Amino acid sequence: MEIKILFTILISTIFINNYVLSRILGICPYLGVSKKLDSAVGMGLAVIFVMTMASFFTFIIYKFVLIPFHIEYLRTIAFIIVIASLVQLVEMVIEKISPALYQALGIFLPLITTNCAVLGVAVLNIDSGFITQEFGLLNSVVQGFGAGVGFTLALLLMAGIRERLEIAMVPENLKGLPITFITAGLMAMAFLGFSGMKIF
Amino acid sequence: MKAADIVKATIIITIIGFISAFSLSFVKKITQEPIAKQEQEKKLAALAMVLPGYTIEQEKTVRIDNMPFTYWVAIKNENNVVKKAWAFLAEKKGYGGPIQSIVGVDESNVILGFTILSQNETPGLGARCVEVVSNETFIDHFITKNITNKEEVSWFQEQFVGLNAGTPIAIQKKGDWHKEMKQELIQHNAITAITGATITTKAVTQSIEEGIQKLHKALTLQEVQ
Amino acid sequence: MDYFKEFFKGVWQKNPILVLGIGMCPTLAVTTSASNAIWMATATTFVLLGSNILVSTIRTIVPSHVRIPIFITIIASFVIIVELTLKAFQPDVYKALGIFIPLIVVNCIILGRAEEFASKNSVVHSILDALGMGVGFGLTLFILATAREILGANKFFGYTLIPGMKPAILMILAPGAFFTLGLLLWAMNVIKSRKARFKRTE
Repeated sequence: MEIKILFTILISTIFINNYVLSRILGICPYLGVSKKLDSAVGMGLAVIFVMTMASFFTFIIYKFVLIPFHIEYLRTIAFIIVIASLVQLVEMVIEKISPALYQALGIFLPLITTNCAVLGVAVLNIDSGFITQEFGLLNSVVQGFGAGVGFTLALLLMAGIRERLEIAMVPENLKGLPITFITAGLMAMAFLGFSGMKIF
Repeated sequence: MKAADIVKATIIITIIGFISAFSLSFVKKITQEPIAKQEQEKKLAALAMVLPGYTIEQEKTVRIDNMPFTYWVAIKNENNVVKKAWAFLAEKKGYGGPIQSIVGVDESNVILGFTILSQNETPGLGARCVEVVSNETFIDHFITKNITNKEEVSWFQEQFVGLNAGTPIAIQKKGDWHKEMKQELIQHNAITAITGATITTKAVTQSIEEGIQKLHKALTLQEVQ
Repeated sequence: MDYFKEFFKGVWQKNPILVLGIGMCPTLAVTTSASNAIWMATATTFVLLGSNILVSTIRTIVPSHVRIPIFITIIASFVIIVELTLKAFQPDVYKALGIFIPLIVVNCIILGRAEEFASKNSVVHSILDALGMGVGFGLTLFILATAREILGANKFFGYTLIPGMKPAILMILAPGAFFTLGLLLWAMNVIKSRKARFKRTE
């Protein structure tokens, strides 16, 4: 039973409710780092990591600090501070442990603080009503992981397309952002096909 | 970095945090009452809508299958016969998050009223479960001021009135709803799905089915006590 | 004249969405109806104004290495004020904008203006900058939302335009958002390159 629910959450956050193409979250990094495939891979991995961690910590903070003290209304400020310090911490830890990984992810980490998909997943975990559920923490961590994977999937697809677009004949005025948005629109249309998909 | 710098930075951050927390708790204090009032009004309006003509007797929250379940008991005096009815909170995960609704049923499980309290479905698809079909056009409203054909109740929620919640509610795909459909659908104990949003439709019917089962459990629990 | 320029640059020359290319998420996500767009723009402008005023007031006493956390705290506080106020007095708007109200915190426009402008300029200039950016943001949102609502829902401010006509739902869904903004940016580029060519031939 539980595995089924986790699987449903995973599939729905990656494909059906893809954070970028369906919920329209995290557009700035989506456009900013999708120019090259290898930087997209780095950004994607960093986002998966931070989203999973952020889901875990924000859930714990909400359940064991905000609710007991009846200060749920401070959610936004608490979450953004948690995420910002988490990103800093991750950056420092990675730098110490694995300089190679730091080389690959380092420049993307500070950008993640203002990635609205990270705060988005933290807020959505609360809004999905996971707090009162039995395995709420596990559910929200899985949702965070799935959201990261979904973001990475959209980012990688876009980076692949944009690398080709560079050498394609695009009308002068459509070059750059306009054609990227239209491509994103076509991708979002393709992802609409997942809606209504029956998982079980 | 010198020690003095660290101390200075810490003090400034603390002061800012203090001021922000102070002003926010002030704002919270001002808005607390209107928010509570809004929620109360919304709940009462929803109850009046799902139990037309009844007076609410009491609100109860019990634990069923380890989950809190809220229901209301209501009565109506009709020709010196006291009729009982219940309303309960139903919830099920839809496409974009939980869909929460209030359902009113009478003693024979017939739905008296149904209204969706909160949903987070896709605009244009699932979110049409709260859509009010309004023929009121822009011109009607601002130029001719002819506001006769205004509907207040959402067509999707209207469909449930008169169905039997005790037996499974079927979903038929008949396209967009119109009033003439109602009689035929009631015969089949069915509703017509929202075009392109079967998941939302299913979540709603399932939430009603699960809710009524919980209601019966809660009521038998009450009798035992 | 200088003041007017400070205000107007946010509307056109440095329009946050069309030129600077920041603050895309709310732009795309909440422009499903014109009224949503206006509320979102109002909320964002309020936060922007508040944070710009405060940041430029305390700009001289904030040590530069801790400025980002301080800015974020200030911005988040204003966002919570907006959240609570909307919840109390405009519950329908609060519901319609949903998750995008807390997400104003991470709208790059606000942190961007605090960092770029307010932390270096006087209070008066910062107020004008915030208002200009807010208006520029709001206008763009309004144009997008109007186009999407008319095509995707056959409505304008919630009122049906042509009775009985089926709208193109796609425009109100996510793809429609991307397409509309893509076309708007394209139109912007066309205007700019026309102007440039005009200048050259002169």
